[in-house]
Amino acid sequence: MREGTLRNLAKRLLYALISIVGVAALVFALLHVVPGNPVAALLGDRADPEKVERVSKALGLDQPLYVQFGNYLLGALHGDFGQSYTLGKPVSELMGAAFMNTLWLALAAALVSWVVGITSGLVAALHKNTLLDRLFMGASLLGVSLPVFMVAMLLQYVFAKYLHWLPIAGVADWTGYILPAIALGWSSAGSIARLVRSSVVEVMQQDYIDTARAKGRTNTQVIVLHALRNAMLPVITLMAMQFSGLLSGAFITETIFSINGIGRLSVQAITSRDIPLLQGTTLLCTFVIVMGNLVADLLYSVADPRVRKGA
Amino acid sequence: MDRRTFVLGMLAAPLCGLAAPGCASQTQRAKPGLFTYATGDEMSTMDVAHNDSNYFTPLNIFDRLFETRMVDGQATVLNSLCTDYRKSDDGLRYDFTLREGVRFSNGDPLSSSDVRYTFTRLLTEAAVNTDIAVQIKGGQALMDKQADALEGFEIVDDTHFSITLEAPNGGFIAGLSSAAMSIVNERTTRAAHNFGKDPAETIGSGPYYVEEWVPNDHLIMKYNPYYWGEEPTVKEVFRRIIPDASTRDLMYQNGEVDLIDLTEIDALIVQRAYKVEHADKIVSAQMLGMTYLALNETNQYLKDVRVRKAIAMGIDTRDLIHNLKYDDAIEQKGIIPTGIWGNNPDLEGIAYDPDGARALLAEAGYRDGDVSFTLALSSSGDQLLNETVSNQLAKIGVQANIKVLDSATWMEKRLAGEHDAFIATWMLDYNDPDNIMGVFFGSPQRTRGRSICYPDTEVMARVSAAKSIVDDEERKREYQELEHKIVVEDRAWIPLFQGARIFCRGERVESFTPFWAGYGDYYLTDVTLTKEARG
Repeated sequence: MREGTLRNLAKRLLYALISIVGVAALVFALLHVVPGNPVAALLGDRADPEKVERVSKALGLDQPLYVQFGNYLLGALHGDFGQSYTLGKPVSELMGAAFMNTLWLALAAALVSWVVGITSGLVAALHKNTLLDRLFMGASLLGVSLPVFMVAMLLQYVFAKYLHWLPIAGVADWTGYILPAIALGWSSAGSIARLVRSSVVEVMQQDYIDTARAKGRTNTQVIVLHALRNAMLPVITLMAMQFSGLLSGAFITETIFSINGIGRLSVQAITSRDIPLLQGTTLLCTFVIVMGNLVADLLYSVADPRVRKGA
Repeated sequence: MDRRTFVLGMLAAPLCGLAAPGCASQTQRAKPGLFTYATGDEMSTMDVAHNDSNYFTPLNIFDRLFETRMVDGQATVLNSLCTDYRKSDDGLRYDFTLREGVRFSNGDPLSSSDVRYTFTRLLTEAAVNTDIAVQIKGGQALMDKQADALEGFEIVDDTHFSITLEAPNGGFIAGLSSAAMSIVNERTTRAAHNFGKDPAETIGSGPYYVEEWVPNDHLIMKYNPYYWGEEPTVKEVFRRIIPDASTRDLMYQNGEVDLIDLTEIDALIVQRAYKVEHADKIVSAQMLGMTYLALNETNQYLKDVRVRKAIAMGIDTRDLIHNLKYDDAIEQKGIIPTGIWGNNPDLEGIAYDPDGARALLAEAGYRDGDVSFTLALSSSGDQLLNETVSNQLAKIGVQANIKVLDSATWMEKRLAGEHDAFIATWMLDYNDPDNIMGVFFGSPQRTRGRSICYPDTEVMARVSAAKSIVDDEERKREYQELEHKIVVEDRAWIPLFQGARIFCRGERVESFTPFWAGYGDYYLTDVTLTKEARG
């Protein structure tokens, strides 16, 4: 790797670190500004003022804010993100388990969306203005417009309830990921298909495609090595962004399919004002998004020599 | 490979992936003795010192000195770990006898010392469930760290002990039957680092022990071979956390769960699908709790008793029950629900009378639309119920403007006494009127914490003192007089209805009895599997 690239990478990593600490401070401040007492939420309908005071003290919420934030940062540096108020376990342990579930789900959904999206976009582009093109683009429009929960419920009814092929909910084994991955990947596939189609159509009109053909390249070689590679530049950015999005918040899919993932954990933390859990999941999501952007930039430079050369 | 083959291959790949697991059917074949249940609520801990809202696991892995069960339609306190007790004439001292031969799930024998440790721990652990133990002499001092032992608890021997109360309390024995008073193993709990969270360290004497707990995912319980009671038919429990109610519904229809709580399922689906297709499998229990409308007496309009009375007259509870499909709910007239000791079936109710309500508002000097307040709705509350009540009140010229708040904010404002009005449900923990009247009207702090802000301190002092009346008949009379004063004269509490908890049994469940108070939590010993399911 060149020195310039390394310097650029180090700079980006430093920015990422600043972003993460900034987000931690912001989330901490926001959580103490917005209304909603975490202890009252924790105790629920049984809450009374004496109980709230007693439990607040036990959780250290009676300490000044700067002490609480200082303790949090100190703990976070040692990998201790505190204990969830609502689930009663260390946040790092909860996030670890949830992140693995989300990671598998995101990878499976990404696979679905990339394979389906790129393939159908390519097919539509190569059969521009034919019935096949309209069919694929119509399906992609459905993918973009159908809400995830509707796709999820349809899949549950067809493949789990009637056909009994797959489990309705839970991820006891790999088969549990199939329906949620399709539900989640379906929408992303629609966007990717539309982008791939328009990019390929544009690239196929370029002079270098004619040049490649004139040099005797086969049709497949022209499509894969020249057209698709060049058309993929904007698609890669979209795919990387979508992937980090999948990792940081697939709440609806995780709820419907009962997957103990980061999205579900985050929403649970928000509604119950579970401060340690919310801070942990926010930091994790920030990290994932920042890293996703970084990876997208790196991939971009791999795919486009002009970027690599700093042109 | 030509282009057509390549394209078809790419299209076929995901379909093959989908079809592959279909070959190996996913229909789970349940093991003999296995009971599978799904719920949307996860608990924070199995330790009742820190959990007062989710009792499913504590109810089944711990025992209490007494248990409350429904006997002939009446909640009745029955012996459990305690086989006998004697109360002194002044109502202050209780002598208890523990059941012989009880062992915890790790084989340790139960002794009086475990009971003392349990009560002491509740008061020294910044616990959420202190209400019962704090009544023991020296309980408050222990909680305030002014003492290091529970003065009123005296151990006679391994199976005999006595408790002296600070003041008499007619509801004490009923209180000991609440899940909050689950007895823990002193030896293992003292040594535990993660009691209530680590199954291996969470030892009780109940019919089950927890083998595995993955928060937000599942919990596995197994039959405790040391259990002293009758052996249940359910030998293993798989409790899954399924947050989405419609997914739970699908799982029931698919035979993936053996019992479903229909509370969160759409009322229309329950009425038109479950009650038709599975009518013989429906089991319901009256919730021993009350759905009520709280009105804040510090509000400029609601402080006038005529306005509160008009509001009560403007709500048609029969229509609420019918239109919202709460078929199993029953109308209520007071604070103490039907089935709870002290309930007064003869309490005068208030009839639905919109014309009378309008006349009362006019008498108070208000024209149509003058009276306006916020009806605070928690994000987890019943929107349809709030909308229906708001619409009914609009017909008498009262504007109850619904404001939805997220549950944490709603709770914070309620505790600060800031809501104008709200609709909520209170479920009793034990069979005594103090568990509802004392909670809402036991002190100025309590009534403020419920956003009712009832101003009559004399009545509140009487409510607080009522629990100490030794004579049961006299105590019942006092509660009923107080209920009359608060509900009929002051209209400080608008009862709406007493709901019901409806369950639907699966094919593998022969019979099921819900918890006496109509909780979503229940005793697994009250689930009987069919012969086939037992294996």
